[in-house]
Amino acid sequence: MTSEKILVVKDLVVEFKTDRGTIKAVNGVNFDVFKGKTLGVVGESGSGKSVTALAIMGLIPNPPGRVASGQIHFNGKSLVNIEPAEMRKIRGNKIAMIFQEPMTSLNPVFTIGNQIEEVIELHQPHLSNVERRAKAVDMLRLVGIPSPEKRVAEYPHQLSGGMRQRVMIAIALSCEPDILIADEPTTALDVTIQAQILELMKKLQKELGMGIILITHDLGVVAETCDSVAVMYCGQIVESADVKTLFNHPQHPYTKGLMNSIPSFDSTSGHKKERLQTIEGMVPSLFDLPVGCNFQDRCSSVTEKCRGSQGEPTLMPAKGEGHTVACFNPLS
Amino acid sequence: MSEYLLEVKNLCKTFPIKGGLFGREVGAVNAVNNVSFKIKKGETLGLVGESGCGKTTLGRSILRLIEPTSGEILFNGKNIVNYSAAEMRAVRRKMQIIFQDPYASLNPRMTIGDILAEPMEIHGLHSEKTARRNRLLELLNQVQLPADALNKYPHEFSGGQRQRICIARALAVEPEFIVCDEPVSALDVSVQAQVVNLLMDLQKDLGLTFLFIAHDLKVVEYISNRVAVMYLGNMVEVAESSELYGHSKHPYTKALFSAIPHASTEGRAGRIILEGDIPSPMNPPPGCHFNPRCWNATDKCRESFPPLTNQSETHQYRCYNPIN
Repeated sequence: MTSEKILVVKDLVVEFKTDRGTIKAVNGVNFDVFKGKTLGVVGESGSGKSVTALAIMGLIPNPPGRVASGQIHFNGKSLVNIEPAEMRKIRGNKIAMIFQEPMTSLNPVFTIGNQIEEVIELHQPHLSNVERRAKAVDMLRLVGIPSPEKRVAEYPHQLSGGMRQRVMIAIALSCEPDILIADEPTTALDVTIQAQILELMKKLQKELGMGIILITHDLGVVAETCDSVAVMYCGQIVESADVKTLFNHPQHPYTKGLMNSIPSFDSTSGHKKERLQTIEGMVPSLFDLPVGCNFQDRCSSVTEKCRGSQGEPTLMPAKGEGHTVACFNPLS
Repeated sequence: MSEYLLEVKNLCKTFPIKGGLFGREVGAVNAVNNVSFKIKKGETLGLVGESGCGKTTLGRSILRLIEPTSGEILFNGKNIVNYSAAEMRAVRRKMQIIFQDPYASLNPRMTIGDILAEPMEIHGLHSEKTARRNRLLELLNQVQLPADALNKYPHEFSGGQRQRICIARALAVEPEFIVCDEPVSALDVSVQAQVVNLLMDLQKDLGLTFLFIAHDLKVVEYISNRVAVMYLGNMVEVAESSELYGHSKHPYTKALFSAIPHASTEGRAGRIILEGDIPSPMNPPPGCHFNPRCWNATDKCRESFPPLTNQSETHQYRCYNPIN
């Protein structure tokens, strides 16, 4: 059974004007989000993951940034060039987002109850004060905060990092969105708390049937929570596939390199393991991208073709269903 | 002289909690509580735990960047706890530290050359001009940075390169022992692997001894010979790194390992997800500090603090109901 496509992103380009010229932070990104499924977006810092998310939310600061071209369709409705008032009805209501920093994304001078009620008041104005408070308590209970009746009147500083991230999730889910965008939701948390939060998101997805876009740099998190994955590098998707295919048969040298640079535990061989395999060099600056494939200077299987004689590699179907890769010399 | 380069005995660090109008002491946080361990020459001891467990405080106390409240620190067999500031300065030539945040730990107004020369100046090393310059170039070469970096400023470098500069600065005074306080956690994965490899190469070439602090168990397990696990200021388990992964005795260690997401899609059985948060160190639970989150906890665990038990010569743990 194929599930419903709720979000379609097509050829999205986001530009930022700077003193040193215009850069394309996101350059021709395509993906679909399905109801009840999780799409993982992986990449290193500066690869355009967060900018893609902000573009969907209509939160690109303009100026200096703008969606230069491309389309974002949510349930058949275009979100590019939409009226601000219209977008406000969707943002936080139908598409919600949780941010990386639970410490700074809550307002310190309001109780967490106030902050959840604010969202409900905005999007469901017909509810009374009492109903709103009841709903806020329900939301806190849903995300697993103990004694929610008491906690609802507390301030963010009274909660731990994990608890604050739960509150952020409660705020995001309070209007039962169709899509939840989670931008590095567990990066600031300890592993044991990370496991709790990821488990919670999976459980809530099952109950509420929302589509999730999970942005992360941690391939482990992707392997354990996502259905499909898009790997980003310098503003472009270089490989995309369902999670099993990607991890078992990565075809882009960058994807493979990312996987190899994580130390693994299955060292039954006994003592000191071989050196970690690394990707040489650094991510190129967006001001100074090479001609041809952006990954050429760090790639082990680079050829003349990659250096621009044939233009940039584009996403092409690879072996396996739904597997696409942007590489002239994909790994077999 | 003993084979151990560093021996820490019953180290404690208590921070007072001030409160009220006149800042009276109203309580205390036991950030590090009776921690003892030894590190052999040329060895890497990994130190893991969740945020707030006291790993950084412990690392800094060893260098006396934070004054320990009680306990002994034997470096090369000499107790350095009561050393004067001048004596301590001489010892610090042999013990250095690399900090977590390569963006905050380099002075933005100094060139890389000045940054690397400062520790040599303080310790009066290579004071002759050409010798100093040769040493600087040697350092850059050791951390695989180009020679023209000397005249550049920190903002011209990426995170990974800055961390290399911090490593070079620590190496400038030819130390024997380096505390690495989360040296790779601020870096992207591909760069992280480069820095980890660099640290391991340097250790081999220069015979360095590391205390490697991190919350990323995968990196710690990879780089360390032995790993110590801390929880709420106490060392709850220490073992050879291969032993710790496969045969951990303490439920907390087991849970920590099981919480790490694996970058493979083959399902894992028996994942342990701990309930609740790490308790506040201001008010730790009585008995074993881990008992509110532990699935093996018994009445005994709620009443008394478990002593350190020897599993083998290299493997110790604090638990009444260890995992078999």
